[in-house]
Amino acid sequence: MLGSLLQVLYFVALGTLSVAVLEGYLYLHFRFWDKRWLLPIGLLAAVAAGCSAAALVPLGRASLIVSAIATEACLCFVIQYLLRGRFTLPYLLLAPAVIGLLLLIVYPLAFEVSLAFHDLKLNTVMHWSRTGELPFVGVKQFARVFTTSPLSEVTFWQLLLRTLWWTVINVVLHVTGGFALALLLNEVKILRGVYRTLLVIPWAMPQVVAVLALRGEFQAEFGAFNIMLSRLDRWLPWVAKLGIGPVQWLGRHPFLTCTLINVWLGIPFMMVVILGGLQSISRNYYDAAAIDGASAFQQFRMITLPLIKPVLVPAVTLGAVWTFNNINVIYLVTGQAGGSEGADILVSALYKSAFTYYRYSYSAAFAIVIFAILFIVSMAWLKFSKSTESVYG
Amino acid sequence: MVERRAPNLRGLVIHGLILFACLVCVFPLLRIFSVSLRPGDRIISTDLALIPAGASFAAYGKVLKQTNFLLWLWNSLVITVTTSIIGVSLASTAAYAFSRFRFPGSKLGLALLLGTQMIPAGMLILPLFLMIMRLHLTNTYLGMVIAYSVSSLPFSIWILKGYYDTIPRSLEEAALVDGTDHFGAFLRIVLPLSMPALSIAFLFNFTQAWNEYLVARVILTNSLMYTWPLGLFGLQGQYLTQWGMFSASALLVTIPVLGVFLYSSKWLISGLTLGGVKG
Amino acid sequence: MASVTLHGIGKSFGDTEVLSQVDLEVADREFLVFVGPSGCGKSTLLRIIAGLEEASGGDVLIGGQRVNDRSPRDREIAMVFQDYALYPHMTVEENMSFGLRLRGLPQGEIRARVSQAAGILQIMPLLKRTPRQLSGGQRQRVAIGRAIVRKPKVFLFDEPLSNLDAKLREEMRVEIAKLHQKLRTTVIYVTHDQIEAMTLANRIAILNKGRLQQVGAPEEVFGQPANTFVAGFIGSPTMNFVDGAIEANGTGAIFRAKTLCLNIPGDAAAHGASVILGIRPDHVWVSALEEGQAAQGIVADVEVVELLGSKKNLHLLIGDTRLLASVDASIPVRAGDSVSVRLKTGAIRLFDKASGNRL
Repeated sequence: MLGSLLQVLYFVALGTLSVAVLEGYLYLHFRFWDKRWLLPIGLLAAVAAGCSAAALVPLGRASLIVSAIATEACLCFVIQYLLRGRFTLPYLLLAPAVIGLLLLIVYPLAFEVSLAFHDLKLNTVMHWSRTGELPFVGVKQFARVFTTSPLSEVTFWQLLLRTLWWTVINVVLHVTGGFALALLLNEVKILRGVYRTLLVIPWAMPQVVAVLALRGEFQAEFGAFNIMLSRLDRWLPWVAKLGIGPVQWLGRHPFLTCTLINVWLGIPFMMVVILGGLQSISRNYYDAAAIDGASAFQQFRMITLPLIKPVLVPAVTLGAVWTFNNINVIYLVTGQAGGSEGADILVSALYKSAFTYYRYSYSAAFAIVIFAILFIVSMAWLKFSKSTESVYG
Repeated sequence: MVERRAPNLRGLVIHGLILFACLVCVFPLLRIFSVSLRPGDRIISTDLALIPAGASFAAYGKVLKQTNFLLWLWNSLVITVTTSIIGVSLASTAAYAFSRFRFPGSKLGLALLLGTQMIPAGMLILPLFLMIMRLHLTNTYLGMVIAYSVSSLPFSIWILKGYYDTIPRSLEEAALVDGTDHFGAFLRIVLPLSMPALSIAFLFNFTQAWNEYLVARVILTNSLMYTWPLGLFGLQGQYLTQWGMFSASALLVTIPVLGVFLYSSKWLISGLTLGGVKG
Repeated sequence: MASVTLHGIGKSFGDTEVLSQVDLEVADREFLVFVGPSGCGKSTLLRIIAGLEEASGGDVLIGGQRVNDRSPRDREIAMVFQDYALYPHMTVEENMSFGLRLRGLPQGEIRARVSQAAGILQIMPLLKRTPRQLSGGQRQRVAIGRAIVRKPKVFLFDEPLSNLDAKLREEMRVEIAKLHQKLRTTVIYVTHDQIEAMTLANRIAILNKGRLQQVGAPEEVFGQPANTFVAGFIGSPTMNFVDGAIEANGTGAIFRAKTLCLNIPGDAAAHGASVILGIRPDHVWVSALEEGQAAQGIVADVEVVELLGSKKNLHLLIGDTRLLASVDASIPVRAGDSVSVRLKTGAIRLFDKASGNRL
């Protein structure tokens, strides 16, 4: 306990110190931007820093020094010719976050791109980890993404179709379910707070708990759903006569199971967003429409829908991106040994191909392909939602 | 226009529908509760009763004594608190720069921050894992903190920027006239006034890291370093025998998380929609 | 205590020029008011003096020293903001002492100054409260108190009364006037309300579209407006303007508009010039036409009568020329009546039509 506390304090101190050094370094540049000695002194300091860092960290000694010098030269150029000492405070305030994002998002992405053109897999990872050497293979990995299965059977194209279907069906059900619940809640005068609290529980619960618990309930023999289905002939004999009975959820219908779980998880978010939108619509519009003789359905179509669109479009966009990128549900349901591939979508296959099958470079190429698809689809969606905007005015 | 009796019937139907929806939402929680109370010899049963026959809290005792549940919670806590502190402090200053200054790159920066939300999570895990492996930081707190620390940064910056925007500039100007510089005005006036938003950003960072599973699974392989989601997954894996223990520990972690979420949900939602609308 | 001097101050945001070539000298202990319509640049000018905004050109001198490159905290000024800008997370006392604490004054000194200021402003009982618990007028006092304790060389007020309701505004106006008499500090005060300007100022500076129109004592800008803008802006109800031309009439001059012809003082030197005649509604004298008597002077129809208590406003129509007259409420005139109108000759102001400047 004490040990880990000390370890944490140590990180925090280390982090604070490095941020302070960084800020001081930047500040000096802003302070003395117009001095002639800035560049030479800065380069000397960069060489010194690069050498000492190279002594501490075991990898890429030469490249550390070179990048330190390059950074210093770039910074001097930017500050002396582009910024000319202005905007000191905003850039100093931004620096820590920018460095963090550069190191932990931009650099990893660049690394991933380079990885995609090399060959890193289970056989070569130990060698790479010791020496940093990787065989270059060009676009071979990209070709393999389309020709070989990311997992063991399912193909890329099957995954792509399934992903689109998964995204569409989930978002549609989220929005319709959310809309229905929001409209119902909006009608209620009493107990609204209590209902609302209960209804957001699927969103509020830790996803891991929710998914694992539901997965348990989908178990064929002792899960609640099959127990209920098997008792149908006692409770509702006429339904049971239709041939509805226990189902091999996880074994036979993993995609259906995952979809049911994800719909359950995602409705509350949409409901809350839509409810917020509904409550911001002034009662006066409905009164005016009622006086003009609009029916309830017409009011919904002519007033509620257009007025809720500004809230709904970003929520749907966000929801679609989340659904497209949802590994959690599918991996937690099917990820264990012996799990099926029948529910996998692109991102979950990506995760499994990297961390179950250890095909690192292949996964990197696969990830880039997925990102490209997501990018194209979102651009199209953005255009679409913009064009509908002009229809509503 | 409408008959007297119709609204009552309508109200009844509405309440009925909502109650059914509530039941569906709470159902897994109720089942977890019920299973966690099952006595040790009747873990596997087709019983649907909320309070099973022979109910006992034995499973809770077993979780605390026979598993590393408390250790997992501690690991999660250490990692989560550290990342949240880092995340919020980085976001608090960056958001201020975006809120109060127009500088070359400010618009682009904000747009790029939203753009990072588009990056598939799975895409970043692989290079992060390889970097952390290369630095020999797997199975360490530091490795986890590195992997988590900026993941909620874009969202935190948006939420804080939105809040800073609502603070009148004249407060800072008054402080400037009163005798401090711009950074001093930020520290003495804006930060104290932003405590509500800062705590919401903290809670958001906290819940994100606290509930995270996929990154933890690849970086932590030693069960002594597990965070609670990994531990829970392990318990649930050996499904039939440990279902009671799984349910007990699941309930133990869920209750506080639920509380925190319900307390802060109003803020989180406004932040979410704000970020969305502006983009 | 210090004078404030502005030399050729200019300010543009991108392509839009909000201030151009403002030159002004504010004497030590003077109460100077910037007044003008919204968007005329008066607040920007004040913020440039405070150092909250950088001028695109020109110099600001406080106490004879150029302060362009000094930050607000080093200019020895205090400012009262339109929205008061009280720090919501501090008590009244902390708000007032904030600047002193930043300057590292000893505790005793701070306490003495705060209680002195609180005494002057009668806010002693409020010291432990937070701004949220105060009414608008109380916040206003605290904001002023926060400025007083600093003992600055110059006080800057940025529309301090505009968020108060009419009654409180009058009260606070008097308070501020008293305060200036007591403290004898240089005050620069921005407002869009010309009544505030007239009642408070030693001198008024009228701004329009980023240019200084006239600087002078209240009587001066009211009585001798430099141009039509000042004439129209100062005074309520607004001055009447009639387009016309000057013609020679023997040795004197007459003003001729389409439906109006008047003898005016002065010679015929400006013969033929297109001018605007300005006359304040107070100086339009109206008397009822008596039955059977030939009309004297100008005859006008009364379109609308607005009763304002002791005064009434008559909207008159002479041919198609409109004229507003402010007369005693006891004069028995109703809408639709015809009346005889005379203008107070000495109060007539003539402006050049092209430039708007007074002749």
